[in-house]
Amino acid sequence: MSAGASAVTGKAGGRSSGILSVLFGSSIIGPIAALILAGAFFSTQTDRFLTGTNMSLVVQQVMVVGTLAIGQTLIILTSGIDLFIGAVMALGSIIMTSMAVDYGLHPVLAILIGFAVCMAFGLLNGALVTMIRLPPFIVTLGTLNIAFALTRIYTTQTITGLPPMLTFFGNTFKIGNTAIIYGSVLMFLLYLAAWFMLRSTPAGRYVYAVGDNPEAARLAGISTTKLLIGVYTLAAFAYAIAGLLLVARTEVGDPQAGQDSNLESITAVVLGGTSLFGGRGNIMGTLIGALIVGVFRNGLQLMGVASIYQLLITGVLVIVAVSIDQLSHRSKGT
Amino acid sequence: MTQSNGKILLEMKGIGKTFPGVKALEGVNLTVREGQVHALLGENGAGKSTLIKILSGAYIKDEGQIFWEGQPIEIKSSQDAQRLGISTIYQEFNLAPHLSVAENIFLGHLPQKGLLVDWAYVRKRAKEILDSLGVTLSVDTLTADLSVAEQQLVEIAKALNRKTRILIMDEPSAVLGEKDLEKLFDVVRQLQANGIGIIYISHRLREIFALADEVTVLKDGRYVDTRAVSAVTMDDLVRLMIGRELADVYPKRTNKPGEMLLEVNNIQTEGLLHDISFDLRAGEIVGFAGITGSGRTELARVIFGADPYSGGEMRLSGQPYRVTSPADAIRHGVALVTEDRKRQGLLLKLSVAINTTISGLKKLSRFNVIKLNEEVGLVQKFIKQLSIKTPGPNFIVVNMSGGNQQKVVLARWLSIGTRLFILDEPTRGIDVGSKSEIYQIMADLATQGVGILMISSELPEVLGMSDRIMVMREGRIAKELTRAEANEEVVMHYAVGAAVA
Repeated sequence: MSAGASAVTGKAGGRSSGILSVLFGSSIIGPIAALILAGAFFSTQTDRFLTGTNMSLVVQQVMVVGTLAIGQTLIILTSGIDLFIGAVMALGSIIMTSMAVDYGLHPVLAILIGFAVCMAFGLLNGALVTMIRLPPFIVTLGTLNIAFALTRIYTTQTITGLPPMLTFFGNTFKIGNTAIIYGSVLMFLLYLAAWFMLRSTPAGRYVYAVGDNPEAARLAGISTTKLLIGVYTLAAFAYAIAGLLLVARTEVGDPQAGQDSNLESITAVVLGGTSLFGGRGNIMGTLIGALIVGVFRNGLQLMGVASIYQLLITGVLVIVAVSIDQLSHRSKGT
Repeated sequence: MTQSNGKILLEMKGIGKTFPGVKALEGVNLTVREGQVHALLGENGAGKSTLIKILSGAYIKDEGQIFWEGQPIEIKSSQDAQRLGISTIYQEFNLAPHLSVAENIFLGHLPQKGLLVDWAYVRKRAKEILDSLGVTLSVDTLTADLSVAEQQLVEIAKALNRKTRILIMDEPSAVLGEKDLEKLFDVVRQLQANGIGIIYISHRLREIFALADEVTVLKDGRYVDTRAVSAVTMDDLVRLMIGRELADVYPKRTNKPGEMLLEVNNIQTEGLLHDISFDLRAGEIVGFAGITGSGRTELARVIFGADPYSGGEMRLSGQPYRVTSPADAIRHGVALVTEDRKRQGLLLKLSVAINTTISGLKKLSRFNVIKLNEEVGLVQKFIKQLSIKTPGPNFIVVNMSGGNQQKVVLARWLSIGTRLFILDEPTRGIDVGSKSEIYQIMADLATQGVGILMISSELPEVLGMSDRIMVMREGRIAKELTRAEANEEVVMHYAVGAAVA
């Protein structure tokens, strides 16, 4: 009904909502403005915020969740949701470290096995969502528990004494006096790749199309089943990389890891302006969203605010961001 | 069984309703008596729905008067209508699927005994109502487990539980098979015997002759006439329903059919379609006429690979044509412009450019990378060629008018070199100006040798555009007509199943 109404109002309605969509919609100007404002605020509060070393630290803290959020963005763009990402990341990192340490496999082989397990789970998610037509929320809630349990069944011990190859991405190089971790470079490269895929490949377009309207997408000739299975598998590939980065940063395999990652990744996606209704959003927005969370955590920490208040403020941020998204939606009549 | 002497319950006089830019109803009269079945007849868009919405309180009339048992009244809300005893059974039922038959019959006003619901009374009363209709149905069954016909009976029982004096039935037969139809007739006659006035809406003339006492005909929002059913023939009714002038919006065109393009032989589906055979040549426009539910959209979806078929075969340009998905059909150069543009045609929240090129991205890509400059050029070419009114290729289609949205859909299929266009209601919800533009695009395509299969419920459109006309009825092709043989009366006769005089 409301869509029809805005179709009738035609261009006039279109123009005003065009401005809104630039500010709050698929464009990332809104999130960037929020990031700059947050940065400016913390610079005035503490001298230690705006230094090369601290910026590098923010990125390093964001690296794992940021990489997970790439997969989450892809799935949310198809109007799905992924709850299992923290659990599968933990499972992947345990398998990689255990294969290398406990079974003495070559680190590269151990990593490959970890990736294979994660991606097999992604494939399973995609198959359940498309072939049995289960809601993504239910499917990933189920695989969340399965992956979590499998990890604990496999081991409850933290795996230590990792070979250097497994922690390669934790190494640093220097630009000037600032040490930069390889993993954060990898994260930025992954964002560039995902951005390119979504913008310039047919598959990327299909992700938006399926998220906007799966039936219309199918009738436009898109094989929606193949596409969704591909998206869930590719997302799991991102989670496996995040597992590797986690191992590199912490230098252990931790079966307890990743328990907050689901909500943290969704927070990053939402703060980045991607619509939870699918079909609308920008992967670079997610990167900005992850950085916003990182900047707030870091800035508040430097100001000496207790970590429980950091969580509180993150919660408020999410609700404000989603409200803006919702309001811009309503004014568009969709 | 004519009940023209029952007490007059309802009189509507000179009813008019205007929507922004459209006069939906003008000068409509309707009189309903106790114990009378009064049929309301008219083509799509004749104003039947608007009239019953005024009566049920969904719309408020702009002109005219309503009398209830001789007293002037106003119906300003659905509560007003309910208080008078006017109930409506729409085509889409209003039942809670996970509640029982008895609970549905009492939905919204469960009787209480103290603080608790008086379930004993609910079940007893529900059974009484069903019995009075001659229906044997357990009151404890979940409505989700009932057949469509049984759900309809529950709807009727629900209306009776509210002390209904006039029951409006909006195309009740559209969802029923032949056997269930007889049952429905029995129930309607039972209601009639109990003194309830019934307004019965249907396209199917046979039902009107089987059931109704009087019939009121509407056309283009105007009142045509009210007749006693015993005093009219089917031909009379068809003539009353149609017979307006063909507006001169259809491009002149000479039919030069080329090579055989599509051959359909004995296609059938598990659902509706039976033994469908026809062919279509390059450069030909074949119109598919029929009433809603006659199987035209189902056929279109089968040819496009969107739904499976269970028997028969198709050939395209002489080669076997087997499709299992729309992607298959598109590869063969077959396109479907869907009836429901917003839900099945467009990606509403995405741009003109994305909507235009989504089906042809493979051809626009090298090494799986879209050549973005080429894409923008292509989109701009079509914006110009089809005169699509948009600020630019990146404009979101949800904010465009119906006509421009339809042009975007056409641009999508034109951009990939379609050779068989299936157009399902191509001008529905589109203003007159854009309509004639779309007709011109169709005519140009046919001249270029594209085959066009056009489904339309607007008879003037079918007659004005088609080289040949297939009339469908109840899942079969009832008749093939040449342009010369066809006129509105003949097409309507086959569409509703009347014998041609």
